[in-house]
Amino acid sequence: MLGCPPVKRFRRLFIANRGEVAARIARTCDALGVTPVFGVSEADREAPYLRGREFVVLGPSRSGESYLAMERIVQAAVQTRCSVVHPGWGFLAENPLFASLCEAHGVTFIGPPPSVMQQLGRKTPAKTAMAAAGLKLIPGSDGVLRDADQASEVAAAIGFPVLLKAESGGGGRGMRVVREAGGVKKAYESAQAESLAAFGDGRLYLEKLIEGGRHIEIQLLADKYGNVVHLGERDCSVQRKHQKLIEESPALVLSEEERQQTLAAAVRATESIGYVGAGTMEFLLDSGDELRFMEMNARLQVEHPVTEMRTGIDLVEAQIRVASGEPLWFTQSDVTLRGHAIECRINAEDPSNGFAPSPGVIEHWSVATADSNVRVDTHVESGYEVPPHYDSLVCKVIAWGEDRDAACDRLSEALQTMRCDGISTTIPMHVSVLASKEFRDNRYDTRAVPGWEV
Amino acid sequence: MAHVPVVPIGNPRESVVDKAEFDRELAGHDPLVRKLEARREEVKAGWGEKYVERVHEKDKLTTRERLERLKDEGTDLFEVGTFVNYGADFNGLRSPAAGVVTAFAKVEGRWCVVIANDNTVASGAWWPNTPEKIERAQEMARRLRLPTLYLVDCSGLYLPEQSKSFAGAKGAGHIFKMNSLLSAEGVPQIAGVFGDCIAGGGYMPIISDRVYMTEQAYMVIAGAALIKGAKSQHITSLDIGGPEVHVHQSGCADERVPDDITLIECLRREVARLPSSGASFYRGGVAPMAPRFSPKELPGLLPVDHRQAYEANEVLARLCDQSLFWEVLPSVGREMICGIGRVGGLYAGFVLNRQGLIDDPEAEGDARPGGILYRQGIAKISAFSRACDSDGIPLIWLQDISGFDIGAEAERHGLLAYGSNLIYTNSTNQTPMFTVLLRKASGAGYYAMAGLPYDPVVQLSTTVSRLSVMEGRTLAIASYNSKLDDNFEIVTTDPKERAQIEKRMAEVEARIEADMDPYVAAEQLDTDEIIRVDELRDWLEVLVEMSYQGVGYRRVKNPRIWTMHDLDVLVNGGRA
Repeated sequence: MLGCPPVKRFRRLFIANRGEVAARIARTCDALGVTPVFGVSEADREAPYLRGREFVVLGPSRSGESYLAMERIVQAAVQTRCSVVHPGWGFLAENPLFASLCEAHGVTFIGPPPSVMQQLGRKTPAKTAMAAAGLKLIPGSDGVLRDADQASEVAAAIGFPVLLKAESGGGGRGMRVVREAGGVKKAYESAQAESLAAFGDGRLYLEKLIEGGRHIEIQLLADKYGNVVHLGERDCSVQRKHQKLIEESPALVLSEEERQQTLAAAVRATESIGYVGAGTMEFLLDSGDELRFMEMNARLQVEHPVTEMRTGIDLVEAQIRVASGEPLWFTQSDVTLRGHAIECRINAEDPSNGFAPSPGVIEHWSVATADSNVRVDTHVESGYEVPPHYDSLVCKVIAWGEDRDAACDRLSEALQTMRCDGISTTIPMHVSVLASKEFRDNRYDTRAVPGWEV
Repeated sequence: MAHVPVVPIGNPRESVVDKAEFDRELAGHDPLVRKLEARREEVKAGWGEKYVERVHEKDKLTTRERLERLKDEGTDLFEVGTFVNYGADFNGLRSPAAGVVTAFAKVEGRWCVVIANDNTVASGAWWPNTPEKIERAQEMARRLRLPTLYLVDCSGLYLPEQSKSFAGAKGAGHIFKMNSLLSAEGVPQIAGVFGDCIAGGGYMPIISDRVYMTEQAYMVIAGAALIKGAKSQHITSLDIGGPEVHVHQSGCADERVPDDITLIECLRREVARLPSSGASFYRGGVAPMAPRFSPKELPGLLPVDHRQAYEANEVLARLCDQSLFWEVLPSVGREMICGIGRVGGLYAGFVLNRQGLIDDPEAEGDARPGGILYRQGIAKISAFSRACDSDGIPLIWLQDISGFDIGAEAERHGLLAYGSNLIYTNSTNQTPMFTVLLRKASGAGYYAMAGLPYDPVVQLSTTVSRLSVMEGRTLAIASYNSKLDDNFEIVTTDPKERAQIEKRMAEVEARIEADMDPYVAAEQLDTDEIIRVDELRDWLEVLVEMSYQGVGYRRVKNPRIWTMHDLDVLVNGGRA
């Protein structure tokens, strides 16, 4: 997975994250000759990926006192003489204050400049920039709504059903679906109150509600010199409650024209905002088969292995090299996207019991690793105890094939030969999905999990 | 370690003060804000609609219309001296804004000082204080090397008041000296003559680097009215000194243009030829970012009642980018907060007074009031001021101060000497300084924290400023000291005498109270502008950006080699 000769720019890299992504980052550090230093909470002290490694205990298990404690993390990175910090995903990965704090104290932050990150974190400024670069947006209000009356006007103009969303929102809060004109005022007031309570900001904007769409995203990579490339798109439409379960690449539902047009516009948009590093642009494919920009995530994403399997490019390596001031070592024409790749996210949850969390000790863990077309990204091993404090991701299983069916078959076989005894996992659900007609025929959307009754 | 180790400061409004109190404090500011807005509108209206129409009838724009077109779209004007001559009566006539608008305007991406005669007020004539107001704006331009644009439309001195504006050291003639000094220091000056430019007014454009005239403009030493024979020969001022004469025959002007709109375009084009701003270079790749907590919250956190304390850090958190701040020497002189933050991506130094009670370093366990200067605080801000000067960091003084400590201990500690040292430092600083009279600005405290007598580039008052040599109560006590006891209570038991003393003391207090009104200072140029508390961050962004616009005239040290770091090492032993 290496590009050119190992980079020796950063000697030591601080990993400000945990679990699977921490192990993932460390793996590339080893390949590059960079020493990783882990920041962990008390709950993760015994994690297998720390064995024989340098680590700093940041604080108690509560994220607010460890993985989200900005000043402690910067202090830890400085103390352990790390010159760069990788925030992973989640936690502080998209926090512009944390990014600025790192830089102010001499620790390079892996990610875009704080001002760009902030712009992308705010719905309206991000959309304005993307529209200017030629991306199609979901029809909606031109920025934040003035009041409920304006909401009614906009809704009438773009047509129902519509979605009222919080400008500072996330995780589905401060959101209301409105299906007819009479419901606008009440929904506006309700969404505003919830948004104010949850985010301290009651401003709302409005979008057309696209139901039955598919979630398509594009992987982008940019260096500090304005060079931007795309690494293809991913289809992440198998979701439950806005959480992705299965991701794949390419998105076969796209017409070649729509694909190429949007990839090009995405690259233009990324360059226009001065983005640096790895980023993912998320779109909704509507009923007219048009990709509409939703938001850009200024971080590495969980499902990045899908792209790595098709391109042969190590994205974490790219992030580290870009952060150290290297120009991208390849151009767009050097990028080849081969075959088909699919990933299943395996969580410690019981899919037949409402996906109830299943923390506990993994008594026996084994996964077949002989097939080089199957990749398992994990941080667990036999005897590992899944802590209750954080997300329940146990591992990711990714399979590559010459075509979609081949990838599906390979993935399914790998899942069925895995053993994760002692806790419940979502493996049975994934096996069922992969075998289902709807999934194989690629006929489903974000509203339901194909081949599994939620 | 030569990093600028900023850390997050401040808390969300809900943790600082509950909604009820916040709303109450906001409401407290409300009448003052409304008064300010009403007065601004009043001044902007000049002599009124009738005079606006007169200007339009001549196919000319009013001064304020010209300014709207001159500045970059989407930017605001930052006016100074709005309230000069406010309330002054000249034999029944008013002189709103002293008949001239002086403002910072962004033109082609560069901040400029614009000096524009108000052609709706006595045809742009110069009143008492008009020269001083113009000179003040010129001085700001000189200090920051800002391109200066003159929008000339001026009928000369307002003659009935000439004794107050003609002859003095800072009278009208000094404007031309300032013109000359600006030119001598290489500050670009561009003049647009839109109409009358009579008598001494003529020198202002001539000394400027580029002069444009409209077809209605004329420049004359004396108008046709004073020229013998002009009447019978029907010779006008335009004939004597219009573009025909000055562009072609005398060479006193460079170009003629048909009208106001074209002239303004030409002025913009000239500015576009000047070097662009150095600000983005000095940002060092860091973009401007808003504070994490809204500056609009400031009025709700700053009680109008000057005796009520508040958390000074919360004010700072709403003025610095991302609410990131490096407090320098936090362990000593706790009555003062000083440190570095970015404003619009550019480094600035801040000095402000801590309010409420602070620990007394001389007596463990005891507390003493903030908002006062004690020995350590004076020494700290003195050293900080010197370091900012040494490092070329623009320095912002946020005053909310009652004064120096007084009494036996204060004298023994030599506060007079430490204070003098501080004053000496501020008096000899070269780095741009800006002073904000946040709330109270009293006596020697006003002096110590770089009040106007120490020539800050700009001094701003807020709607809640209180500026005077001492609080009314203090003066009353001083004046009637012989009638008071140890605790400043009236001694006499005679009810009549008591009532009389109380009445007289109340009168003294009321008089000083009236003096403290910021409009009193603004009227006589003892402060540069009155702003709303929630406008402060916008103003600071402009002032700081202007400080870094010009390149090559002042010291700007890169942060790696700041003297500031030495202070930190010497007191705190440096960081690991």
